[in-house]
Parts: sequence; C-alpha cells; structure tokens
Amino acid sequence: MKKRGIGVGSMYYGLGYGFSRPDIGSATIEVCEDGSVIVRSGQVDYGQGSDTVLCQIVADELGIKYETIQIITADTAMTPDSGPTSASRITYVCGNAMIKTAQALRAKLERVAEDILGEKDLVFVNGEIYSEAHPDKKMSFVNLAKACHLKAIQITETGWFDNSTPDVDPDTSQGDAYAAYCWASQLAEVEVDTETGKVEVLRVVAAHDVGKAINPSMVEAQIEGGVVMGLGYALTEEIIEEGGIVKNSSFEEYMIPTSLDVPQIDSHIIEVPSSEGPYGVKGVGEPALIPTVPAILNAICDALDVRLTELPANLENLHRLIREKEKSS
Amino acid sequence: MQNFQFHSASSLQDGLDYLAERAGGCKIIAGGTDLIPALRKADLSFSVTRQKSDQKSASGRSELCKIFAGGGDVIPMMPKDTHPDYVLNILEIEELRGVTETNDSVRIGPTTTFTEMMESEVLKRCLPLLVQAASSVGGPQIRNRGTIGGNIVSNAPCADVLPAVLALEGNLELHSKKSGIRILPVAEALEAPYKTSIAADEILTGILISKLSPGTRSGFEKLGRRNALTTARMSMSVVLKLEDDGTISDLRIVPGAVMPVAGRMTNAEEILLGKKPESPLIEDSATLMAESIFKITGIRWSTEYKKPVVQNIFKRLLKQLLQDN
Repeated sequence: MKKRGIGVGSMYYGLGYGFSRPDIGSATIEVCEDGSVIVRSGQVDYGQGSDTVLCQIVADELGIKYETIQIITADTAMTPDSGPTSASRITYVCGNAMIKTAQALRAKLERVAEDILGEKDLVFVNGEIYSEAHPDKKMSFVNLAKACHLKAIQITETGWFDNSTPDVDPDTSQGDAYAAYCWASQLAEVEVDTETGKVEVLRVVAAHDVGKAINPSMVEAQIEGGVVMGLGYALTEEIIEEGGIVKNSSFEEYMIPTSLDVPQIDSHIIEVPSSEGPYGVKGVGEPALIPTVPAILNAICDALDVRLTELPANLENLHRLIREKEKSS
Repeated sequence: MQNFQFHSASSLQDGLDYLAERAGGCKIIAGGTDLIPALRKADLSFSVTRQKSDQKSASGRSELCKIFAGGGDVIPMMPKDTHPDYVLNILEIEELRGVTETNDSVRIGPTTTFTEMMESEVLKRCLPLLVQAASSVGGPQIRNRGTIGGNIVSNAPCADVLPAVLALEGNLELHSKKSGIRILPVAEALEAPYKTSIAADEILTGILISKLSPGTRSGFEKLGRRNALTTARMSMSVVLKLEDDGTISDLRIVPGAVMPVAGRMTNAEEILLGKKPESPLIEDSATLMAESIFKITGIRWSTEYKKPVVQNIFKRLLKQLLQDN
C-alpha cells in the first residue's frame, strides 16, 4: 500500500564561527589602467557561486560592470587569507570585506576625480563618475583609471572585516554567540510503499530567510542543492564501517540521490535584513540542508503513524518499523 | 591499466579463431561496463597476483582471457583477480547485434545494448518483459554500453535482465571453432555466481526466445535504494497465462538478486498452476517461494527484510497481472 504524509522541519542557524573564534574575511582590490578590476581574496568557491556574488558586490560599490571584474581566490601566493568556506559565512564575512575595501578604494578614486572634474560629492554609477549637482560634468571609470595611472597613483586597497563576536558567559552559557542568525522552514510530502519500505519524496517547499538575496537564482540553486543533500541524508546515505575500514567508500555503494530521486522543490526567499551583513545578508549554505531531514522524517511519521529514530530511513530500517507496528496492532 | 593483448574481431570467424588459440587466457569484451572496472580493481588492489599472471604468460601457459562486449556488467562485482593476457572485443562483429524475429521466435544478438532493447519495436510488441528489465539497468550511459549478452554470461546475482530471460525460457546459441554450434537453455548455463558452463573457447552468438502464446502476460519490478544507478535490492519477473475459465495455465516466477544464482521458483509456480488464483493460494505460493529462497541462501542479516518483501513484491505483481486485460 502507498501511504502519503506531510511533515515540517524548521531551524535557526548562527552563521560564521561565533563564540569569540577568529572569523576574518579579506580582500585586495586593484584597478588596472584599462579600468578593469582584479579582486584577490582567500576563500574558495566550491561551486556555490561565491566568486559571482563577491564580484557583484564590488561592481555595485565601484559603480562598474560586473564583466570588468576578475577574481582570484584560494591561492596562498596571491590572495590574503579569508578563512575557510564554511559556517555559511562567505557572503556575509567576505562580502563585508569587499564592501569595506571597495569603499576605501572608491574614496581614493573620488579624490582624483574631484581634482579632474572640479566637483564634490561624486557618484559612481554605470561606469561613470559625476556630481549630482552637475551631472553633465562627468568622466568614465576607464578614463579615471588611466588618469590615476599617468599620475602614478596607486589604486590598490586591502581590507579586512572582522566578524568575531564576544563569547557567551562561561558559567551560564548565556549570551549572543553569533553575529547573525538564519531562519528556515521546509515542508516535505512523501509517499511510503508499506510493502517495501521505499520512500518517494514527492515535493519539498523551502522557505529561507537569507536577509538579502544578492543573486536570487543562486540562492534558489543553493536551496535546491541543500534539499537534495538532505534527501540523501534522510533516506540513503550511510557510512558502513567495520573495524575502522569504510566498506562503502565509492559512489557505487555510498548512495547519494540521482536526478530521478529529486522531487519538485519550491523555493521561497524571505528577506528580513540583518543589521551587520552586506546589504542585510544572512546566509543560506548549510541552512538549506538542515530542515530537510526532520521534514522528511516527520512526513514519514505522518504517513505511517510511527516514528523512525535512526537514520537513514532506508528500505530495511523503515520496513522493520512497519512490521513492528503491524505486529503490535 | 593492466597489460594485455587487445584484439577487435572483424568477423565471428576471426573471433572464434582468436579465441580457439587462447581459450582460458582470454576475456571477451563488448560494452565493457563490467570488465573495465574489474580490470581496474584487479590492477589497483592485487599487484602480487598480477606478477604471478605475468610469469604465467611469460612461460606461455596463460590461463586467463575475457570476452568484452558492453562491459556494463562484468565490472563492479567481478572477482578481484581478473588478469587476462588477452582481451577479445566482439562489439564490432555486426551479426552479433540487433533483434530479429521469425513467426514464433525472437533472436537477440548478444551485443544488443539495453538502450537498443528498449527501442526495439519487436521486443516492445513480443517481449515487453525484456524492455522493462532493460530499462531498469543503471543509467542512460550504462544502458548505452551494457549488453544483454554481458548481463547473461556475467551471471551476477544482481543482474537485472537475466531473470527476465529465465522467465522467458531463453536459449543461448554458442559457437566454438572446435565444436561448432550448440544450443543451451539459459537456466542450464548458470553454475555459480559469476560462473557459467559456457566453455572458454565459446562465443555467445544469440539469445533465442520463443514468442509467448497469445494472451500471455508478463510483468517486472525492480526494487533499489534509489531510482537510478542502483544495484537491485531485489527484482521480480513473472510470466502468466490465464485461461477463459479463470485458471492459470502458464506461470513462471523468477526473483532476482535474492539468490546466488537466479532461477525459476517451480514449487511456488506449481501451487497456482491449473488453479484459479484465489487469495489463499497466492499466499501459499508466496510463502513457499520465500521458503525455497531462504533454504538456498540460509539466514543472513538481510533475510528479515527480504523474506517478507520478496513475497509482497510477488503478490502485488501477480495481482496487477491478473487485473490486466
């Protein structure tokens, strides 16, 4: 028999390292004489798209096109240390480092432009620099870069953002351990085959408060990717170890979801800004995965009226539960 | 990768000649989805064995040879001491590929891939069980490479298509240079896991299956841990004929991935043969099937799961077939 159920999983998650642990992001930004920009920063983009988002931030701060920025990351010979890509911290911590550094660089550029244009209070928009009072007095970012080069003015800045927070009270563990918190709820609908113990996840609805989505389609991609990881965590992934040797150390035996296991995922981005994050950013990396397991297990419980208390909810574990329930009733 | 001499046969005769001189030391390859991983595994984990094998070949007494077609099967589960001196590729022998039919039978070339089986109009019309089984194999890339011949001759306990061929009472056409042609029922070829009675100098040249008599139904289910790229936790192939009076005149039950070697569950079939399939009889048949299986395998950690579930899958597949019109 096929039985359906719906379950909810919710979470909040402190991003960054918290608890007074070092949590520092960095950036070196250089404007080349042709007006292109090179960003150097230590964190690694392992596919989630942080390079894109960090370049978007720099582009916004300098009022230039995203396409004119090149980013170099995770090269200890070239880049200042930004710490690991972990704790859902990159957009928040390194994004703030980008803003801080880009703003310092813009201030430097602005002084040169003020001399050239004879105007104060300049804006940097769409690759142009002008004063709000006399918008006709303007110059391009490219020409400003050239001018700096000809005047032998160094247009490089390096900056750090420190996200370290105070520790909690050592006696009571009370306090505010993290700079910001992300919030999320997910709903999962499942269909359980009571004859085999096989679970089909039919649909997941995921609502994530990310503070501010700098790149909404990548936030959605991270939510979808997280849900798929959570799906594997809930249903199939298991390290089988015997005497210290992992018995399923290949993807032939360690079961991650395939595209045919992935349900419809409806992502909803919620934007309640944080006070310190860049443009109000919080984070989404790990939060995307955290509510999926409880949502799926609650949905299984809703379908079968029994609760599984071990992972994964694989064929054997779930069918044992179904048999035990049949026996007891 | 290991060192071996690789030969692509241009014709069946060429392949048979090559094999006749090297039988025992040669593996046959078609799609390679089993053999290539097996060669790699053996290469990585058993260098000592390889030295022994090298010595053998140096002394001219090579004893290992594999035939390679799609290779979809040979690889993951093969014994780890695979060190052939020769590999014979039969994938380029045109006559070994494709599906043809006569009035009362279907002939499937051994290097016909699972994808080709899924797309074959003849199989869709005459033997849809094979189409279902083939479509449950791995993923698209594996189905594009792996072949029906490889699935049979590898005789892996978890094979997806082999149980369906057993349920269809398929025969193997085997060629050798020395003995010519012989026809062997698939059921008789399967000796032990990964082992068949096909001789080292023989090439499988066709899988011959009689068409089912009109009104015969068939069904297949595979249970895996996920929906693609998964080894069968178990599978079930059933062929059934229901007479007008409601009695069962033909029944073939072949569970997959629950025994070391797949086979018909004749005890369970006999309970229902000639009878009307009423619920108590179906229950008896399922119980006897499970008992027969676990008499062979003994009680293992997986038995508490597989014993009830193999019965559930059989019962629901049978009920589904009984409802079909």
